[in-house]
Amino acid sequence: MTTYKVTGPVAFDDHEPGEEFDADYDEDLESRAVERGSITIVKGNRKKKGADEE
Amino acid sequence: MSKRVAFKDLVKVDLVDLSTFARSVRFNSASERIDVSGFNATGSNEYLAGTTEQSVTIEFYGSYGTGEVHATLYPLHKNRTNCVIHWRPDGTTPVGPTNPELTGTCQVLTYGPGATRGEADTYEVEFTASDPAGLTFVTA
Repeated sequence: MTTYKVTGPVAFDDHEPGEEFDADYDEDLESRAVERGSITIVKGNRKKKGADEE
Repeated sequence: MSKRVAFKDLVKVDLVDLSTFARSVRFNSASERIDVSGFNATGSNEYLAGTTEQSVTIEFYGSYGTGEVHATLYPLHKNRTNCVIHWRPDGTTPVGPTNPELTGTCQVLTYGPGATRGEADTYEVEFTASDPAGLTFVTA
């Protein structure tokens, strides 16, 4: 589980801008969301494509 | 069943709530009509439903800020990415029998923003269903 913060101007996955939340997104979705500026990672590591999940 | 004026629709693309940037939504689901007519006394045709093509066309206001319309949609088109979309009539209340949500996995196969001098920057984007589950209305 990773802690994210909504940094974009609109809600993301039903979480409002500025809100912190825990979620477990797949690496592709996480990567797109971080790169477009929708969310940032507050706690936890950014997932790497091809990395084994534990 | 009451009539409604569309005000509170929820439009979500790849988990990003783009409702405030969207002003129209049109779902289209069409099955191919296969003619299986044989000889018969009335001369009527007989059809079976063939493959189904589904899409959702959403008209967006052009917005180019971080996490807004272009930043969300263009990478999906450029990288041929599958994404999940959601639309329901009332975003302020949960999904239910009187507030069904259309959802499914789609691709943005064409993407064509543009602008006209003196007019609101808007453009339509078609989301084409891209997996066997298709686009479906859920009520729970």
